Amino acid sequence: MTFRQTMAVLGGSVPASVAAVVVFLLLYAWPAIRLNGFGFLVRNTWDLGSLYAEPIRHSGVMILPGAQYGILFLIVGTLLSTAIAMAIAVPVGIGAAAFLAEILPPGPRLWLSFLVEMLAAIPSVVFGLWGYAVLIPFLGQYVFPVMSRLLGWIPWLGEPTGSGYGLLTAGLVLSLMIVPLIASILRDAIAAQPMEVREAAAALGATRFETIWTVILPGLRPVLIGACILAMGRALGETMAVLMVSGNALNVLPASIYAPVSTMAAFIVSQLDSALQDPTGLAVRALAEVALALCLIAIIVNTAARVLLAGSAVTARLRR
Amino acid sequence: MISNKSPILAAAAAVGMVTMLPAGARAETRVLETGSSLLYPLFNIWVPVYAKSHPVQITTQSTGSGTGISEAISGLAQIGASDAYLSPAIHQQHPNMLNIPLAISSQMVNYNLPSLNGDHLKLSGPVLAGIYGGKITHWDDPQIAKLNPGVKLPHQTIIPVHRTDGSGDTFIFTQFLSASTPDWASTHGYGTTISWPAISGEIGAEGNQGMVSAVQQNPYSIAYIGISYKGATDQDKLGEAELQNKAGNFVLPDNQTVQAAAAAAAGQTPKDESMSLIFQPGAQSYPIINYEYAIVSTGLPAQTATAVRDFLGWTIQSNGGNAPGFMKKVDFVPLPAAIRRLSEDQIKAIGPQRSASNP
Repeated sequence: MTFRQTMAVLGGSVPASVAAVVVFLLLYAWPAIRLNGFGFLVRNTWDLGSLYAEPIRHSGVMILPGAQYGILFLIVGTLLSTAIAMAIAVPVGIGAAAFLAEILPPGPRLWLSFLVEMLAAIPSVVFGLWGYAVLIPFLGQYVFPVMSRLLGWIPWLGEPTGSGYGLLTAGLVLSLMIVPLIASILRDAIAAQPMEVREAAAALGATRFETIWTVILPGLRPVLIGACILAMGRALGETMAVLMVSGNALNVLPASIYAPVSTMAAFIVSQLDSALQDPTGLAVRALAEVALALCLIAIIVNTAARVLLAGSAVTARLRR
Repeated sequence: MISNKSPILAAAAAVGMVTMLPAGARAETRVLETGSSLLYPLFNIWVPVYAKSHPVQITTQSTGSGTGISEAISGLAQIGASDAYLSPAIHQQHPNMLNIPLAISSQMVNYNLPSLNGDHLKLSGPVLAGIYGGKITHWDDPQIAKLNPGVKLPHQTIIPVHRTDGSGDTFIFTQFLSASTPDWASTHGYGTTISWPAISGEIGAEGNQGMVSAVQQNPYSIAYIGISYKGATDQDKLGEAELQNKAGNFVLPDNQTVQAAAAAAAGQTPKDESMSLIFQPGAQSYPIINYEYAIVSTGLPAQTATAVRDFLGWTIQSNGGNAPGFMKKVDFVPLPAAIRRLSEDQIKAIGPQRSASNP
C-alpha cells in the first residue's frame, strides 16, 4: 500500500472507532430507548422492578413488574459536580500556571512543575480512596459545619451538612484531578510568550500582576479554553473517584451543596451487577442508554466550548 | 559499566525460566470464587486450609451477591457466592444453574447512638420499614419509643444506610421488611437491589465493609450488616438491635436463635434448595437468617468440575468446612443434616453430564 493509503487507514481508524462505539451503544440501547422515550431524561425514577417476580409484557417488550427508568438526578449530578470542579480548578489552575511560569526562580520552577504534573499521573481510584478515608471524615466533621454556620444565609450552603459524602466533596476531588491539566498546559503557554511582550509592558509601567492579567493571559484565551475542554472532558467521565465520595444518591436531586449525588459514569459502574440480574436484559440496555446520554453530554459540551474558541479567535483577529 | 550485557541477560532468563518450571509442572486447577461479602470471610478461612492438602488454586473475591450470580452464569467465575437464591426467571432462563447452601448465616441491624451503643435497642420489621421508607425520621419517634420503654432516645434524624451494589444482604433485609410489613411488600418488595425511597441524608455504601465504615463514621445512623462482620462492629463499639420475630419476642442473632429458625425451615426446603428462611415461626427464632449459596453451573469443564465438586463437598462436611472451628470464626451455623443431604445431591450434578457415550 502507498504511504497515503496507510496514513488514511490509520488516521481514519480513530473517528471510525468513535463512530463505532456510538453506533454500538445506539443499537444495543434501542429497546430501552423505545420503551423509555424522552421522559428518560426528565424523570427521577430509576427502578429495576421486582427482580424475583415474573416478567410481564409492556408496550411490546418483556419487562419486570415495576421497572421504570429515569435519570434526571444523574444528569443534574454530573453537570453540577463538573461545574463545581471547574469553578474551583480554573482560577486555581490559572494562578498556579502564572506562579510557576512568572514568579518562581528557575530552580524551584523545575521541580514544582514536575510535582504538579505528577498530580495528573495519580490514578483516579487513589484519589477516591484518599477522599473516602481522609477527606470525607475531615470535611464532614470539621469543615462543613463551620462552613454552614458562616455561609448558611446563602441558599444551598446551609444546614444540614450531611456526613461528608456529597456534591461538594465530589467537586473538590474532581478539581484536584483536573487542576494539573489546566496548570501544566497554561504554564507552558505562558512560558512560551516572547520576552518582548513582558519588556514592553514593564516599559509602560505595568506591575507584574498587570502584565500577567492584562497582557499575557488575554492572548492565551484559545489555549485556556482548550485546556478547559480537556479538563471538563475528564471531569464529566470520571468514574472511580466520584463513586467513592459522592454518596450514591438514588432518584433524588441534591437539596444543598452537601447532599449526596450520583454521576452517570459512577452510576453505570455501581448498578451494573444489579442490572445483570434482570432476566429480561432491559436493565443493562437502560445502562447503555445512560452511557449514550453521557456521550451526548460530552459531545454537546465539547462543541459548545469549541464554538466559544472559534468565536474568541475571530474576536482576537478582529481586534488585531 | 558492564561492557557485554548478554551473559547477564541470559542468566536472568535462565533464572526466570527455572522459577516458572515448577509452577507449570504442577498443572494446578484454578477456581475463581466471587460474590457475597457476607460469605467472603468464611471462604478466606476455608481456602488456605483446603489448598494445603489439595492441588487446586482457589481465588476469592468480595464483590457482592449480584456479581457472584452474574459471573457464575456467564462463566467468568466457577463458584458464585450469594446470600440470595436465584430468581424463578433466572432458573427458567438458565436451567443449568444450581444454588447450593454451604452454611447458614444471619444478619444484624446495627446502629450508632452515642451512649446507647452498649444497650440492645428493640426494633421490629414494621419500624425498620418505616425508617427505610422515610416515615419514621427521628430516633425518638413514638413507634420506636413504644418498643423501648424507659430508654432515653435522642431527638436526632435517623440516617439509614443501604447497599448500593447488588447485594444478598439487601435481599434478605428487604425480604424481612416485606414479610413483616405488608405495606412494604406492595410498594418496594424485595430483591438484591431495590429502588430505595429517597430520604434526605441517607447513605449508600459498598459491601458489608462499607456499611460498617458508614455506621462507624456517622452518629445516629442505622444499617443492616452480615453476621460475619460482628467482629468489626464489636471492635468499633456499634450498637446491635434486638429484632422482633414472628412470635413477638425480641432476639439477637446467636447460635441458639439461628439454629431454632433453621430447624423450623429444614423440613420444608425443596430439592433445588431455593428457599427463604426469613421470619420463621418459633419463640426463639431469629427473623433474618438465610442459606449461604454457592451458585454453580452444571456445565463446567471436566477438570474444573471435579475440583469444584471436591471443594464444595468438603465445605459442607461437619469435619470439613462446616466444622465448629470455622463456623465460630464467622458466627455462622452449620447446615442441618437434612439440608446437607440435599446439598450433596446437588453437588453431584456439577460437571459434564455422564451419559452412555461419556461414562
